[in-house]
Amino acid sequence: MQEATFLILTALAAGSQHGYGIITDVEQISKRRVRLRPGTLYTALDRLRADGLIVVDREEVVDSRLRRYYRLTPAGSERLAQEADRLHANARVAMSRLDLNGGVAGA
Amino acid sequence: MSNSTDLQRRYRRLLAFYPHAFRREHEQEILSVLMDGADPGQRRPRPSESADLLTHATLTRARQPTSWEERHHPGLWVWVRVLIGIWLVILTGILCQDGYWWGLALLAPAALHFYLALRLGRSIDSQREAGGPSPAP
Repeated sequence: MQEATFLILTALAAGSQHGYGIITDVEQISKRRVRLRPGTLYTALDRLRADGLIVVDREEVVDSRLRRYYRLTPAGSERLAQEADRLHANARVAMSRLDLNGGVAGA
Repeated sequence: MSNSTDLQRRYRRLLAFYPHAFRREHEQEILSVLMDGADPGQRRPRPSESADLLTHATLTRARQPTSWEERHHPGLWVWVRVLIGIWLVILTGILCQDGYWWGLALLAPAALHFYLALRLGRSIDSQREAGGPSPAP
């Protein structure tokens, strides 16, 4: 799973959000490292919808701007949990090995 | 005309590069996101935004079902696309040799033509496998 996809699913894990909400949330989660552009975001959302990982939750019009809210499906939650597990396991191995070497790489 | 209407018109012009079906589904929504992210008084799309929209519009088009011509004369169109791609690469070479480095931009449409030729070639192969007599395993 690409990092952008992982971050989008993470942004939706706590509840439904609209496009701009996802962009600002992803920026916050990634500590301002990832700023999704709208073209990238909607290509990803379209694919996630086709894969059944997210669905449209509801639509609102605020100041004549259309806001479509997306939320995770049960399959989406499961996929995100699997990916988080995988990343966590990898990170744990990396940390423990660094620890074994006394925290100094290539000494 | 106000800055915001100006900006919206320019965003719409960029979104027009997306296929019709995608626009019907997402145009209003993407436009809202773009306007939400715009700075006060901004009149033009940022270069990075334009590049992002044009790139994804092209990729979305490339994933679309092929055109009528391609469905009816697929064998011919594989070669037409390969030849256009080769011609664009040669043109890039000529331009760069003369110091026109912007010619490198032609490699993007060349790559797209090669990709579409490859995809069409594969679809002909799979049709052959599905329709023709299949050899015993």
